[in-house]
Amino acid sequence: MTDLDHRYPGQETEPYGPPSGSLADLLERVLDKGIVIAGDIKIDLLDIELLTIRLRLFIASVDTAKKAGIDWWETDPALSSRAARDALAEENARLRERLDALEGAAGETTGAVR
Amino acid sequence: MSASAAGPAAPALVCAFAVTRTPPDPAGLAAARGHEEGGALRVLRAGDLCLVVQDVPAALFGEEALTERLNRPEDLERCARAHHRGVEAAAGRGPVVPLPMATLYRGDRTAELAVAARRPVLDTLLARLRDRTEWAVKVHASEAAPEAPADAGTRAGPGSGGRAYLSRASARRRERQGAHGRALAEAEAVDAALRSHAVAATRHRPQSERLTGRRDPQLLNVAYLVEDARRADFTAALARFTADRPLPGVRVEASGPWIPYSFARWDEDPRPAPDQETPS
Repeated sequence: MTDLDHRYPGQETEPYGPPSGSLADLLERVLDKGIVIAGDIKIDLLDIELLTIRLRLFIASVDTAKKAGIDWWETDPALSSRAARDALAEENARLRERLDALEGAAGETTGAVR
Repeated sequence: MSASAAGPAAPALVCAFAVTRTPPDPAGLAAARGHEEGGALRVLRAGDLCLVVQDVPAALFGEEALTERLNRPEDLERCARAHHRGVEAAAGRGPVVPLPMATLYRGDRTAELAVAARRPVLDTLLARLRDRTEWAVKVHASEAAPEAPADAGTRAGPGSGGRAYLSRASARRRERQGAHGRALAEAEAVDAALRSHAVAATRHRPQSERLTGRRDPQLLNVAYLVEDARRADFTAALARFTADRPLPGVRVEASGPWIPYSFARWDEDPRPAPDQETPS
């Protein structure tokens, strides 16, 4: 490995390492990231970053990582993407509208006022 | 969207590796390689922040293709190592915030906007990571514990912080004063000693026996963020545990110095959890 990086000198002075030698340690670090939340971003970045998010969820579903013992997502409540929440919120709003409409209609027929 | 410099008319995506404020040395960047299937590493600018990226063929890095490839262990490894090379190339002259593996954008402009939009978090992280490295430390029990080896791992689910884990560990110790309990206590002692030389610590899930290839269960899998000025103290403390083995019930292993991945999550509030940061 070329030593481009004077700040991470590897093994000359350290008895530990090489830092990237262990695949498990590396995967733990490059995959162990939460979901990107672009909460306050108005521009349309989200669908692009969803690529990464969905990808992580796909990785989560495969045997590979499980075999590697990397199974942090299985019980990680953070693994609900914003997109899924948005979809839920949208559906919720639509259902409320329908409910209101239905209740309105019901109210008209029964005279009940809510 | 700017046109990409990938092969002739090959649709390309932009693969992002890391953000830094110190642009890497051009010669070093030219010598480094990211994904073998992609183009040269290059730097995008978003104000005074730099994003190290690479054009990669959409045919291989589109969602479906990538998902399929990452299902294959050898490709997963190649991808992870390529990502790490890209992150290392970005870290030549100063602190970096590594991005998650396979962070892909449809073009330069979008990637720049993504960085610009996260400016405050990135600033905070870059300041926090300056002149600091990460050390990975694993503590194993010296002998197979009498209970199911997976126990220590599965009970410490994510979302349960170090405190929750420790309190469960203490409860178990009270239940049964066995070898496993003693080993856990020793692991905690190791953690406490190392923490005193670190700026922060964060726990990864203990790795399974399948992964470590060992029968003795992994009790602790901790990442420490260490100030360069205190590195000698930290490694000396570490050497006491790895070489001198003053605690008979545990075996301690370490790797480092790492670029501080575990402390560089750009997608969340960089202020550490209350039980994470230790006063230096």
